[in-house]
Amino acid sequence: MPEPLLDVSGVTIRFGGLVALSEVDLQVAPSGITGLIGPNGAGKTTLFNVITGLLAPSTGTVRYDGHEIVRWSPHRRGRAGMARTFQRLDLFVGMSVRDNLRAAYEASAPGGVFGRHARDGRELVDALIERLDLTAIADRRAGTLSTGLGRMVELGRALCTRPRLLLLDEPSSGLDIGETEHFRDLLLEITRADFLGRPAPAVLLVEHDVKLVMEVCRQITVLEFGQRIAHGSPQEVRSDPAVVAAYLGESAA
Amino acid sequence: MLPFIVLGLVAGASYALASVGIVLTYRTTGFFNFAYGGIAMFLAYVFWQLRDQWGLSQWISIPLLLLVAAPILGLILERLFRTMASRTADVQLVVAVGMLAFFTALVPIIFGNDQHQLPTIFPPTRSVTIAGTVITATQLGTVALALAAGALLYLLLRWTRFGTATRAVVDNRDLSGLIGINANQVGQVAWIIATMFAALSGVLLSIENNLVTYVLPFLVIYSFAPAVLARLTSLPVAYAGAFALGVLIDVLQKYSLSDFKANLVAQIPNLLLFLLLIVLGKRLVELRSSVRTLTGAHVIGNHTRRTAVTGLAAAVIGAVAIPQLFAASTVHDIAEAMAYAVVALTVVVLTGWTGQVSLAQMSFAGIGAFTAAHVAGTHGGLFPLAMLDGVLIAVPVSLVIGFLSLRLSGLFFALSTLAFAMLMDGLIFALKSVTGGITGLNLTAAKIGPLTFESPNSQFYLCGAVLVLAGFGAVWLRQGPIGRRLQMVRDAPEAASTLGANLTLTTIAVFAGCTAVASIGGSLLAVTQATVDPSNFTSQTSLALLLAVVLGGRSLISGAVFAGGVQLVQLLPLDANVHKYLPLGVALSVIMVAQEPDGLPRVSVQQLKYCSAILYRRSIRNWLRLPAGGGRATPSVASGRSAEPAPLVGGGRA
Repeated sequence: MPEPLLDVSGVTIRFGGLVALSEVDLQVAPSGITGLIGPNGAGKTTLFNVITGLLAPSTGTVRYDGHEIVRWSPHRRGRAGMARTFQRLDLFVGMSVRDNLRAAYEASAPGGVFGRHARDGRELVDALIERLDLTAIADRRAGTLSTGLGRMVELGRALCTRPRLLLLDEPSSGLDIGETEHFRDLLLEITRADFLGRPAPAVLLVEHDVKLVMEVCRQITVLEFGQRIAHGSPQEVRSDPAVVAAYLGESAA
Repeated sequence: MLPFIVLGLVAGASYALASVGIVLTYRTTGFFNFAYGGIAMFLAYVFWQLRDQWGLSQWISIPLLLLVAAPILGLILERLFRTMASRTADVQLVVAVGMLAFFTALVPIIFGNDQHQLPTIFPPTRSVTIAGTVITATQLGTVALALAAGALLYLLLRWTRFGTATRAVVDNRDLSGLIGINANQVGQVAWIIATMFAALSGVLLSIENNLVTYVLPFLVIYSFAPAVLARLTSLPVAYAGAFALGVLIDVLQKYSLSDFKANLVAQIPNLLLFLLLIVLGKRLVELRSSVRTLTGAHVIGNHTRRTAVTGLAAAVIGAVAIPQLFAASTVHDIAEAMAYAVVALTVVVLTGWTGQVSLAQMSFAGIGAFTAAHVAGTHGGLFPLAMLDGVLIAVPVSLVIGFLSLRLSGLFFALSTLAFAMLMDGLIFALKSVTGGITGLNLTAAKIGPLTFESPNSQFYLCGAVLVLAGFGAVWLRQGPIGRRLQMVRDAPEAASTLGANLTLTTIAVFAGCTAVASIGGSLLAVTQATVDPSNFTSQTSLALLLAVVLGGRSLISGAVFAGGVQLVQLLPLDANVHKYLPLGVALSVIMVAQEPDGLPRVSVQQLKYCSAILYRRSIRNWLRLPAGGGRATPSVASGRSAEPAPLVGGGRA
């Protein structure tokens, strides 16, 4: 395996007496999709918050692109090429869909709101809106969208920052079967090199839909009760007795 | 030393009751009772009415006050503020400040403007002597009552079902409901206790100072610091902290002090409040109901091209017509109101657009005003340079405040700006060298080269030009990347930061920019007022400004113009009743429309449209026998029920 883009090692998080994460390790390759699965309350979103800097770990290190980033602020990580979506939609509800994407572009562009990249930004935003089938709702206020459309907007918003590492937190929850299949195709397309003519981002995917994860991921890490109980290729994880017992249960059998 | 400690304990007794009352309601209902001093003052006046005016014996009037008046008021307030727990900090604060203004305005209307003496409720001639110090029965009784009240509350919380329920609610309001605790009942009891404490605190303070009017400012100043020391969490810490504060201040007064040092001692509560907020920083956590209302769904500062054109047209017509239509003195008042509107604009951007309530905008305006008066008035410098000087002083101050209170969330940020404003009142604006003392400074002829701004017309055009520039500048910024940045930080701060937006920088930059504009507005006020007087730039004027802006619509530029209009009404020589009832009307309306970022005028227009639509559908259309359907969809009134309230947010907006 090549040098990982993201290397989380020994991360522990305590909330008072509760240990939410205990000595968790996780590697994300510089390309392709890495899966992170586990039952509810396993600590997946907590780990996302640690990676994106919304939570400081009690102990442990997070290395990203060769830098130790535990002390970096969330926005510094964002500018270094991380972008994420949220399990509970966290859109800029008062803005139009187009402005959601533009604001994200401006937040990540060099020079911030004073940056002189308006044209580049507009082209990228327009291309993403078209690619994600958001044209019809581009001028609607984000607060009025359904969950499925909201997830698409969050994905577009994250892609607008031209990420190197894209963290998706349960992107298919709340989607129906058709939407999920559409989303899977899109996900595979995003990770191909020629998506919008840009280098493809590496993806870390938290997902409840085990079928989806098995289909798209190269590597999978499994959490349970804040601990890593398995990691490896889909085949290895699928046949791991600890995983079968803890999580996959009937769906793998 | 002992006499000073005794005095301190006596003073601390009243503060302790107030601090405990504030913490208790905050923990049980999630509402920071900014108006506590107002409630205490109102109840102290009620006691004065019972005891002094109606001549009831104190054995009747005290129970009437504590067991009838206070609980009833507490229950009313609880019902009014029950839904506040789930609102954002800015709405809560606006309502609380409105409540404070309500009581402040109500008291002179009911009880008159005179200052009243309150007879002591303890044997007036009795005293004891301890270690050579004479302690009067009033002093002893005051401390004893406060101790007894504290002890009773402790026992109540420790040993009764209410106590257990309260602790469960405090721990987790939403979970406590699941195990069958009625959080609303707990809130009611807490409000009753807090209001009784307010009554006691108000009466004791009035007796001690012999004046009922002292209650309000004293409680506002002295009870917040202990409450913050307790992190709005621990009742014993608030209680003990207030006693300690009282003793500290009175012991320091033992040393005869120069003017400035005496001022400094008087400002210790505000200094402590400010320092505690900064030191405790992130450890101050606001209570949040897990049931969140949709708050960010509002589009901030939604100005369409049409409103911009309308605004510009109004500005042009006003510029031509007003100097022709009105007398010189009225034109002058309009100019002053527009200068005020420039300051109000900064409240719109801060409170309405970023959701950060600053209670110090008039203090920043004061920095601009006094700098302008010194530079352009006393030293005869050019007015634009004087304005620039004001900005150069005010902005660094705001940067320091901004950096220090960076980590504070909404409520606590507002408290830190309040502490700053009160420090400016008590320390800086009290210096004769800064403000020229109570006579103020003179700025009669501000000039730019050959132009002077002495005539009302010239002042009118100056202030008008700055207001139009600032207003359209704000709208222009709002439509661009900066506006998007503000909206994203307001709607979803965590998402914004993970995408690369620097929240800290955004917040501080907006705060500093608003300070610069407020300072310029202050310089304009100095020009129009000619005599620049510190009483126009106090923390109270900042609170009044906030209320006027909220009423006019805190997310709209027109809200700032509206605030200028409210100021104009106060300046104009109108009927005395207008001036008497205006503050009460403003306060009441603010409490009603606090949740509406578009304020009273827009909401009223929407309601009118809605009503007219119903009328049209119901009467005219039937009468004309027009076919149903077609045209704009109007709300159904088929069942003949009374009209539902119009959808105030979203929908129907162009």
